[in-house]
Amino acid sequence: MKTPRQLTFGALLTAGLFVCMPPVFAHHSGAGFSGDKVIEITGTIKEFQFTNPHSWIQIVVEDAKGEKVEWSLEWGSPNMLGRQGIRPSTFPPGARATMRLRPMLNGAPAGAFVGAKFADGKTVGRWEE
Amino acid sequence: MKRPNPLQTNVRAVLIGIFSVLLLPAPGFGQGEQAPGGTSDKLPDWSGTWSMVGGTVFDRATQTGEGGAISAGVRSHPPYNAEWEAIYKTHLSLRDKNLFPDTISNCGVPAGFPRHFNLPDLYEFVVRPEQVWVLTENGPNVLRIYTDGRKHLADQWETYTGDSVGRWEGDTLVFTTVALKGYRDKDVILDRTGLVLSDKSHATTRIRKINPTTIEVQMTIEDPKALTKPWVVTKQFRKQPAGTRIYDYGCAENNRNPVDVATGKTLTLGPDGKPLDKN
Repeated sequence: MKTPRQLTFGALLTAGLFVCMPPVFAHHSGAGFSGDKVIEITGTIKEFQFTNPHSWIQIVVEDAKGEKVEWSLEWGSPNMLGRQGIRPSTFPPGARATMRLRPMLNGAPAGAFVGAKFADGKTVGRWEE
Repeated sequence: MKRPNPLQTNVRAVLIGIFSVLLLPAPGFGQGEQAPGGTSDKLPDWSGTWSMVGGTVFDRATQTGEGGAISAGVRSHPPYNAEWEAIYKTHLSLRDKNLFPDTISNCGVPAGFPRHFNLPDLYEFVVRPEQVWVLTENGPNVLRIYTDGRKHLADQWETYTGDSVGRWEGDTLVFTTVALKGYRDKDVILDRTGLVLSDKSHATTRIRKINPTTIEVQMTIEDPKALTKPWVVTKQFRKQPAGTRIYDYGCAENNRNPVDVATGKTLTLGPDGKPLDKN
């Protein structure tokens, strides 16, 4: 597995992006997630839970020992995302993708979704090169 | 053959026209239409979908600290008395440690009033001659404001959203809300900083469309238990593009952020349903 890579521009990116973002986690917690660090993981989409109150992207990533670890990436409600063009098919199972997320502070394999880039170059969410 | 009298023909046509109109179904009183006498001469058009402007800090006009309602250091400054300022400070401290639970995080109770006007996702303001309904996609929640001349019940018990009755002053809906639970049972908050009111709180609210794309809600909140003077909070709602749809918000569908009742901590559940943040 690729060790999650902390982006050098993480703090700046996060500060810039999330000040402008709608209140994605408005009534549930966002406090367990890093507020100033963005990491990247690459793996295979297992499931996109396009559900209320929040959506979750489940992605399986190989760790440094070659073991598969399932990550949970929390995103907005399907109501809000649906109005932005996101659909249940946006993250098809089996697709390879690189994800950017604000990780959980305790190191658990989960975080707040920021953006994704698929193998074919298509991006979802916030993705600045 | 007798030729038809043009005058008689015209009278007949007029009579047919009048009867045809009388036979049509009675018109409904939708938004922007004439209301029955005693309610309003003309109801305003608040149709469409609306989104609250800004984040979910309830009183943004007095906000200090950077970030949103769950950001450490962020707070509002209501005119609390010393006792309730101390309660708020306790909540703020718990919020900073992710230990102040959001009352709606377990998906079982309404947001309540006045938090009804402090929710993400979309709103609808449905104007009828006898009632106005403020519908929130988040929740969902319904605030019914009776405008048919009824009064508050003298023996109304306290509920999450209370009892709202009002009247039209031109294009402005003015209503009072009473019989609120407030934080009595610790299941109604105003925002995630930890703002709360008592079960003696009540409010006078004025709603008006201040321009074609903005509805303004001004609440004057009074609370003899918690506040030293009336607290005026203004929220604005921006019109969304025509055709915008509102969807289900079934909070219990896949709630992976329940509150741990033992600690008040909002958890994050993994795919197996076990907390990822319990160390």
